[in-house]
Amino acid sequence: MNTPDSPLIKVENLSLYFPVGSSFFQRSKSHIHAVDEISFSIPLGRSLALVGESGCGKTSTGKLLTRLVDPTGGHIYLRGKDGSLADLAALKGDELKRFRRRVQMIFQDPYESLNPRLTIFDTVAEPLLVQGLGSLGEREEMVARLLEQVGLTPASSFLFRFPHELSGGQRQRVAIARALVVRPDFVVADEPTSMLDVSIRTGVMNLMMELADQLGLSYLYITHDLAVARYTSHELAVMYMGKIVEHGETEEVLANPLHPYTQALISAVPAPDPAYQRPAPAIRGGISKPIDPAPRCRFYERCLRAAQTAGGDPVCRENDHPRLEDKGGGHFAACYKV
Amino acid sequence: MNNTLLALKDLTVEYKTRKGYVSAIDGVSFDLQYGESMGLVGESGCGKTSIAMSLLRLMPENAIVRRGEILLDGQNILQMDERQVREMRWARISMVFQAAMNALNPVYRVGDQITEAMHQHRGDLPPLQARARVEELFQLVGIDAKMIDRYPHEFSGGMRQRAVIAMALACSPSLIIADEPTTALDVIVQDQVLRELRRIQAQLNMSMIYISHDIAVIAEVAKKIGVMYAGRMVELAASGDIFHTPRHPYTAALMSAFPSIKGPKTRLVALPGEPPDLLYPPQGCRFHPRCSRASEICQKQTPPFETIQPNHWVACWNPLEARA
Repeated sequence: MNTPDSPLIKVENLSLYFPVGSSFFQRSKSHIHAVDEISFSIPLGRSLALVGESGCGKTSTGKLLTRLVDPTGGHIYLRGKDGSLADLAALKGDELKRFRRRVQMIFQDPYESLNPRLTIFDTVAEPLLVQGLGSLGEREEMVARLLEQVGLTPASSFLFRFPHELSGGQRQRVAIARALVVRPDFVVADEPTSMLDVSIRTGVMNLMMELADQLGLSYLYITHDLAVARYTSHELAVMYMGKIVEHGETEEVLANPLHPYTQALISAVPAPDPAYQRPAPAIRGGISKPIDPAPRCRFYERCLRAAQTAGGDPVCRENDHPRLEDKGGGHFAACYKV
Repeated sequence: MNNTLLALKDLTVEYKTRKGYVSAIDGVSFDLQYGESMGLVGESGCGKTSIAMSLLRLMPENAIVRRGEILLDGQNILQMDERQVREMRWARISMVFQAAMNALNPVYRVGDQITEAMHQHRGDLPPLQARARVEELFQLVGIDAKMIDRYPHEFSGGMRQRAVIAMALACSPSLIIADEPTTALDVIVQDQVLRELRRIQAQLNMSMIYISHDIAVIAEVAKKIGVMYAGRMVELAASGDIFHTPRHPYTAALMSAFPSIKGPKTRLVALPGEPPDLLYPPQGCRFHPRCSRASEICQKQTPPFETIQPNHWVACWNPLEARA
């Protein structure tokens, strides 16, 4: 049986490595560890925000969960209606196509993600066609109903228009409709509002949350913006160089961040108050690529806690990357110094 | 003593397109003092970048100045001849663009590019002195001096943006315009660049116009803020007043549209509708179709941009009350 607490999706030791410096004549010896043995689960009907800076692996994680790229290793379990867990990482062919009914994706840029030659109807109906769902009449009805649901009303005035006739906010609503038309229960949303203007963004975020409530959806909400993560998601996971370094209830993580990287991220967010003198984030150096990372904490080079001991804290320097551990009340952090 | 560096008076610019005239800037006026930092905030297409381009006389060919003047130390930029414009750019007003990668030429060393910018204005500068100046600038923006002979691709995103800032500072301008300089940067790097900009602006007592769509970023660098909507300036006041007692409904809406990481979590209210098509701007107040306070006059007459209290200007027929 599915209980509210049972995970909808459960990720175990998921990895994605890219070879670097390979050519036709030479096999690559080095790899970028874009996603490096991450584990997490998302309960039914809840949303997880994945935050981090460019290149931290958050988009790669989204592509793995939708199987747009094949994992280097690990498992992605999706709970079936009967409560059984199926490993998506092993799916192929027809099974993979059937799985796509349940897991959909919304992309960042609605100017790139919609085919300019397809009408709105054709765009939204395409997943139904691919999955072989409904007759033409039924598809028309489904698409029209969904357009109304995403706020493109009246649907009849949008059905036969082309993407270039719509504004950015309207296009993103079309992209949302396309993702939801096959009634998925899990949607990966990769920065769905970062290209939109502020006054439009709020409407799209509110819509996504309302639809999640109405349809019992779970999102993996990928964003670089902590405030957007807080607004949209129950849980928050912070990624750094391919690793999840902190994970917990969004409010708890933002109020009591445990990992020094999360603390730095939070303190770097500009304060919407001209009178407030925001202290500088406690971090040093800059971001680097996780190419064959040394077997130690990925954050070691930039960590001020590890640097408190002259020559670097030996616990952080000599041990492998710390495990993501429950530090109390379901608040996970990967740090030796918590 | 007159301390005004820059004065925009009723600036009105249209772009001629095949479909008609796009009203990009409509009757914008403001002053900027020596050493003052000002923020221009608004959404895409509100005219904030068009203002920056007008200040540098970098408007596209199809731009037509309908009315108004831009006075720099009392001299109208719009009437300068080509030679005067060249002398003004970089030496008196310089600009930091959003895409630092595109602002640097990939096949020249970064130091050489900055030297070249200086030579445009001080052709007599001996090479050794030019190099010393670049070293000084790198130190000012926090880049290691040994990066002078490196190429742009060897710089990280934040470093490139610092190099572009160094270039903008090369000829000691009295005004620097920063157009979304941190928008493409990650939040920790953005924090570093904002701190540098703030420190340099104070240290050199330079005037700055900081353009952004993000009102929180503006709050961190600017002493006063101008809010733009659909080609018009709708409100102008000290940063604290804009944040704590916004008088224009659009400013208030803009402020409450940003989620925050602190304080109670509240549901954000989305502004209905979309910004207008500036080929056919709405009559009267351009915000009225989206405004909850709109009345009959808003649909017919353009509200004047007037002082509502000392140092606080607003263009609205039904402004919000000042909170007690």
